Amino acid sequence: MKLSATGAVALSTMSTGAWLSGCTSSQAAPGMRFLRPEDVEMLSALTPSVMAGQVGPGDTEKIDRTVKSFDTLLGDTSQIVVDLLLEAFDVLNFTPTRGLMTGQWASWSNASVQDADKALSRLRDSNIELLNAIYAAVIRMIASSYYLIAEYDASTGYPGPPKKIRGDIPKVDEPSDVEATQ
Amino acid sequence: MTNLSTITLASSTDPYRKAQERGWDITNATGLTASLELEADVVIVGTGAGGGTAAETLSKAGLSVVLLEAGPLKTSSEFDMQERSAYRDLYQEGTGRANKSGSMTILQGRSVGGSTTVNWTTSFRTPPETLKFWADSMDVVGCSVDELAPYFQQMETRLNISKWGMPPNPNNEVLKTASEKLGYSWSTIHRNVRGCLNLGYCGLGCPVDAKQSMLVTTIPTALDHKAKLIHHARVERVLVEGDTAVGVEASALTPDGWGTTGKTIKVRAARTVLAGGAINTPAVLLRSSVPDPHSRIGKRTFLHPTTLSMGIFDKEIDPFYGAPQSIYSDHFQWQTVNTGPVGFKLEVPPLHPAFAAGFYGASGEMLTSSMDKLANTQCMIALMRDGFDERSQGGAVELNDRGEPLLDYELDAYLLEGVRRAWNTMVEMQFATGAKTVRPAHKDARHYRSWTEAKAAIAALQYAPHKVTVGSAHVMGGCPMGEDETKSVANSEGKFHHLANLYVMDGSLFPTSIGANPQLSIYGLVLKLSTKLASQFAA
Repeated sequence: MKLSATGAVALSTMSTGAWLSGCTSSQAAPGMRFLRPEDVEMLSALTPSVMAGQVGPGDTEKIDRTVKSFDTLLGDTSQIVVDLLLEAFDVLNFTPTRGLMTGQWASWSNASVQDADKALSRLRDSNIELLNAIYAAVIRMIASSYYLIAEYDASTGYPGPPKKIRGDIPKVDEPSDVEATQ
Repeated sequence: MTNLSTITLASSTDPYRKAQERGWDITNATGLTASLELEADVVIVGTGAGGGTAAETLSKAGLSVVLLEAGPLKTSSEFDMQERSAYRDLYQEGTGRANKSGSMTILQGRSVGGSTTVNWTTSFRTPPETLKFWADSMDVVGCSVDELAPYFQQMETRLNISKWGMPPNPNNEVLKTASEKLGYSWSTIHRNVRGCLNLGYCGLGCPVDAKQSMLVTTIPTALDHKAKLIHHARVERVLVEGDTAVGVEASALTPDGWGTTGKTIKVRAARTVLAGGAINTPAVLLRSSVPDPHSRIGKRTFLHPTTLSMGIFDKEIDPFYGAPQSIYSDHFQWQTVNTGPVGFKLEVPPLHPAFAAGFYGASGEMLTSSMDKLANTQCMIALMRDGFDERSQGGAVELNDRGEPLLDYELDAYLLEGVRRAWNTMVEMQFATGAKTVRPAHKDARHYRSWTEAKAAIAALQYAPHKVTVGSAHVMGGCPMGEDETKSVANSEGKFHHLANLYVMDGSLFPTSIGANPQLSIYGLVLKLSTKLASQFAA
């Protein structure tokens, strides 16, 4: 089923409103700074779909490293980006909206690659702009997270940059010659 | 194939290694154990193309200058040419900045040197058509081609801007060959480099300081002239007493830039110069609640919305290596100036893996099989010249409840028509030069095998935000200059209309987009404005 434009507005309000919060844990998953357990489950299910050809459903190490890289990447962005993405993830995690938007009624931990493919296609092909936006953000972030891992970018034929001898910067950080006021 | 990973570079060029012996006054606000109160002739907010140029001019004139930068001080000693560290350390929001709806990614610099630390060195004087339009329709005075020429010339000499003398890399070569085949005009790009090794890492911080960014030119000169640089210091507001700006207040940021340490930096100054770049400069003004009787602050923000097309060739392109931009075509840029469909400039971007993957806008086998052929991939970009036609009013900077800037700018029918036309042009050019497959950056597009097939597909695709991949590396406007207070924020000398002693000196002054990569437009204009400001002190 496809939601009407009114539905899209409602969804967008919902995703920023109070009633979705509380459906996803507020605590980050172990080892993560931002991603909550449900986000990790969802991204672990979507990674073999976005990265098909490089990451299979059984490639646990690649999946885990990509999800961890995603979390690191979030920390390199900003509160604005994190807030928006976690709101989008609320939509993808909360059973009624997840089911309605992606067709994935069962939890992400039970999703096959085919299920993930189908879920992503529904977001991409939806008439609701918000879902197109979620699709664009999710595939961009997963793809970037994967190729930001140095060992994984070798498949592109990129030999990497020149080696750099790192130089130390002399310490100039102390506020030395200025009048400090309490 | 080319393999630069076997080369080793030493970073003996870093001018900041001699900071102490040169007596430079540099403070990392993160380390402040108490709040600071400073006084200066001029406080400059931002250290990019505008702030750097103004700092050099004003400090050389003998004025005491304090430079405040929200980003970190990162220099060539630390530039390791890795995407992750560069995006994290040198870009606004770690390249995650976007317009409000998320449909356009916005690349802007955020470290000492601003976007000049990470731009691709492309240097154009402001096009005459643009300057004429500003004079005729935007009430800008004193910015004709002839009036600006001496300032452009001075900055070209200062930053060693000259026509790139080495052969273009294969990525750029395709643009040149395709233009010749299809009868389009093209030319060689001028670059601000000195001793460039043609490596291709301009966007990740030049590892050998060949790029003549503000980081290694004007800011070191300003520091030599006793300017004080404070980084990790985000300016929250302009301090106002009566109808006069008297300085700024900044928050010291934590090392990762995410939070504040609780310490503040107050700088009282005879003149306040805002140069945080379009988006951040209007945001400072909005946070300051300065007078804005015609609601102009943040309006008319432009992006050169840029879309792309990826072509896969049999031959090696190695788009990650070599001077990123050396060829351009303005064939479709000035067919009309301020009426009719949007004009666009054709260039190419460098493609490093994560950057390319992010902009592919594809998923699954479509993404990974394309990325497997990155070394054979050529990418063409079209930068749309927004802000000239009546239908193109740009976006508006606004603040969220934390006071952070958001840009409300959506792709509308006018721009989406430009996207479609640009794809038609670029895809044909890629097939004309031997591409085996080409994919325009649309979420539903495939790799097409012939121009005929692609043309039919481009006609049938749905043109909507989030469906088309469009981004920006050129944010302009938001504090447009002009003599009509009802249409502008500052006058043609950069002076804020509604307060004394407050100036804007960066790309946010532009009343339209430039129609060319903007760095030299900022250098030339700000040299003119800051020279005038310095003369006020002399008088």
